[in-house]
Amino acid sequence: MGRYILRRLGFYLIAAWASLTLNFVIPRLAPGDPAAAMFARFEGKVQPEAMGALKAAFGFTDAPLHAQYLTYLKHLAQGDLGMSYAYFPSRVTEVIGTGLMWTVGLAGVAVIISFVVGSFLGVLAAWNRGGWLDSGLAPALSFLGAFPYFWLAMLALYLFGFVLGWFPLRHAYGHDMEPGLSLAFAADVARHAVLPASSIVVATLGGWMLGMRNTMVATLGTDSIRLAHARGLPPRQVMLRYAARNALLPNITSFGMAVGFVLSGSLLTEMVFSYPGTGYLLILAVRNQDYPLMQGLFLAITLAVLAANFAVDLICLWLDPRTRAHA
Amino acid sequence: MRFARALLPLVLLVACSSEPRPRPPGVLFVSVEQQSAWVRNFNPLFAGAGARWPTRAGVYECMEIFSSAQARWVPWLATGHAWSEDQRTLRFTLRDGVLWSDGKPFSADDVVFTFGLLKQHPALDAGGVWRFLADVKAEGRDTVVFSFSRVYLPGFSDLAHQIVVPRHIWKDVADPVTFTNPEPVATGPFTQVTLFRNQVYELGRNPHYWMPGKPKVSALRFLAFPTNDQANMALVEGEVDWAGNFVPAVDRTFVSRDPAHHARWFPLYGSTVFLYPNTTRPPLDDVRVRKALSMALDRDQLVEVAMYGYTRPADATALNDAYSGWKDPEVAKDAWTHYDLDAANKLLDEAGLTRGPDGLRRLKEGQPFALDLEVVSGWSDWVRAGQVVGRDLRKLGITVQLKTYEFGTWFTRLQKGEFQMAISWSLDGPTPYNFYKWLLSPRTVRPVGEVAAANWHRMGDAQADELLVRFERAGTPEEQHALMSQVQQRFSATAPAIPLFPNPSWGESNSLRFTGFPTEQNPYARLAPHAEPDSLLVLTELSPRER
Repeated sequence: MGRYILRRLGFYLIAAWASLTLNFVIPRLAPGDPAAAMFARFEGKVQPEAMGALKAAFGFTDAPLHAQYLTYLKHLAQGDLGMSYAYFPSRVTEVIGTGLMWTVGLAGVAVIISFVVGSFLGVLAAWNRGGWLDSGLAPALSFLGAFPYFWLAMLALYLFGFVLGWFPLRHAYGHDMEPGLSLAFAADVARHAVLPASSIVVATLGGWMLGMRNTMVATLGTDSIRLAHARGLPPRQVMLRYAARNALLPNITSFGMAVGFVLSGSLLTEMVFSYPGTGYLLILAVRNQDYPLMQGLFLAITLAVLAANFAVDLICLWLDPRTRAHA
Repeated sequence: MRFARALLPLVLLVACSSEPRPRPPGVLFVSVEQQSAWVRNFNPLFAGAGARWPTRAGVYECMEIFSSAQARWVPWLATGHAWSEDQRTLRFTLRDGVLWSDGKPFSADDVVFTFGLLKQHPALDAGGVWRFLADVKAEGRDTVVFSFSRVYLPGFSDLAHQIVVPRHIWKDVADPVTFTNPEPVATGPFTQVTLFRNQVYELGRNPHYWMPGKPKVSALRFLAFPTNDQANMALVEGEVDWAGNFVPAVDRTFVSRDPAHHARWFPLYGSTVFLYPNTTRPPLDDVRVRKALSMALDRDQLVEVAMYGYTRPADATALNDAYSGWKDPEVAKDAWTHYDLDAANKLLDEAGLTRGPDGLRRLKEGQPFALDLEVVSGWSDWVRAGQVVGRDLRKLGITVQLKTYEFGTWFTRLQKGEFQMAISWSLDGPTPYNFYKWLLSPRTVRPVGEVAAANWHRMGDAQADELLVRFERAGTPEEQHALMSQVQQRFSATAPAIPLFPNPSWGESNSLRFTGFPTEQNPYARLAPHAEPDSLLVLTELSPRER
């Protein structure tokens, strides 16, 4: 068991190194010159003679790639992600810091709610096959999930924010609020999170529900469940302890992926609801060829994906006795 | 289900607490930058710094301000200036009694120190002033003397517009290029950072501002809007008082909602938008071909389709309205920017690009005349303009393919001259000197493959350059205007690039809570908050209705 965990850990370390290297290589393969893109932002307000000096200030080097790679690794090891070009001269860590908490909070909570509620609904739907949950809600949710997310979010914003005025139209908290550990602030944050979070939940709930329902149906047909019934165990225990626990495994794996992509995936939510997160930073970084910021964000996403997958491995180990036997 | 029943009251409770938030009186809400979250940076010197608005005209100030709406220089930190007889020395007289926001006096030493920083750190010298300066000295507390290394009158604007920073603070800054200046000490009307969070920041009044009783606005507040849609919604709702957004169908969506208070003013003071032909590629090196392409464009339709009619077609001087005092009316009448398909066809025939039996134009070697037109993907106004251009040129028998690129790629191709045709902006300044220099001067031409900051079409005209060099030394307005007329004639004769339309300078105001915004009737400055340093004129003029 300990050896199994160590082996997985080793695998994740190698994966982390590989993705760090890709992080370094991919932006440099992209066409375009970051200094030129930077200069273009001034649209003629800066005399072109200043371009050489701009390049020097941003520290663009013509050093060979392997030298740049070593510097990159060295700085990374020191936790130094460099300065953002787009937000020059602010540090990448500071720029990412402005939004990381909000993105993780909003999208993280939304993914967890969606996963828990969706999986639970899937279990119920499979247990009562052909009931209203199975034949009504499941198709309805899949239908909603098939809409472009952007459109769904705009619709929610327009209807519940603009027309009915139930929820605020933008931002993570009221701009006259003092952020802190007060109840009023928490309520304000919750109120601001309702629309963006529920739009994510509505868009993704169907997927979790359907996935869970299908594996659950397959599990219910197995001999072990028939045996459990035959032993006269209470139905609720059979449903949750025997069937759902086994059926949950594939969903857990996808949950690991979903959690990992929380950082990048909430881009559209942030655009529609002006939520101060990291998704929009990624777009901006790509547009300005802001390598340091791009690398910083990819690093955060990579680490999140790897950490979530490692956690999933551990959960599967606990849920599924078979993995323990192999270990 | 029990879970849902428990959740419902909570949701309702949260939802029902939604009442409109009271707005603090005297606080002006401004929407200028589109960001998802604010990063604290108030570095006014490094142009590459993503400094928060209005660092460069509102927190900090310059010596004089050119108001393009009034076409004159407004004295600011300096009350005036004088050139020496030989035009090699320029003296600015500084205003008496100006204090920095920490209470220390402002003096000529600060100006000399600032220009010293530019010399020490070329990255800060965005105007390139040390190309023509020899020395900057203080004469007493209130006079700054600039000695020029050569006669260069257009340099005046770079000196007058230079942001001045306090010596007593910046002398201790290790690297002024990478300094984020989180607590600015400045001379401007708004210097106190009273609030800074990721989605909102607020600037309070300078306690020692030199204009008695001003500013009247008690604070500026900035909300983060990541997209134009969000910024426009806040404007329409009345949450934002002053904005510089592109608003589609602005009269219907914004002005008509409250015509008494909602106003927009889009004067044509933005840079002129051009169709740039790569003149290193035949047959675009032939002036007849360039003029023919220009004459095939129905610019009236172009501005209607691409720009919602917010602008007008460009004429043969290509000058925008900020330069209307410089425009030579005779040149403006030149025919090559007027829609005339017959004349265009005739010019192409003359140039030897005859139509084949299929109606398509052929190059001299016999292959069809096809052009790629490059624009930035997602810049919808230019993409639409590109579509209209493509359709119009097809009437001449020229095949045009519209290609859209991500911004960085597009700009690199443009700068290196690796394009056939592209739509892009032009360079500006208080006089048309910079504008024409970067369109026409051989000194700005770089070989294909090498990055050119402008003159992407890669064409120079020796005669125009001679006129521009004479303009650098022309002391009297009469002489300047005569020279600029001749430059316009050279531009019109050589047609190095094809002007499409002047860009509007976007500005919207909501006078429900504040009065004094510039309007077409009271054009003391541009309404666009982006139009620095005009924002200084506006910020010191506005006053709240409520108290």
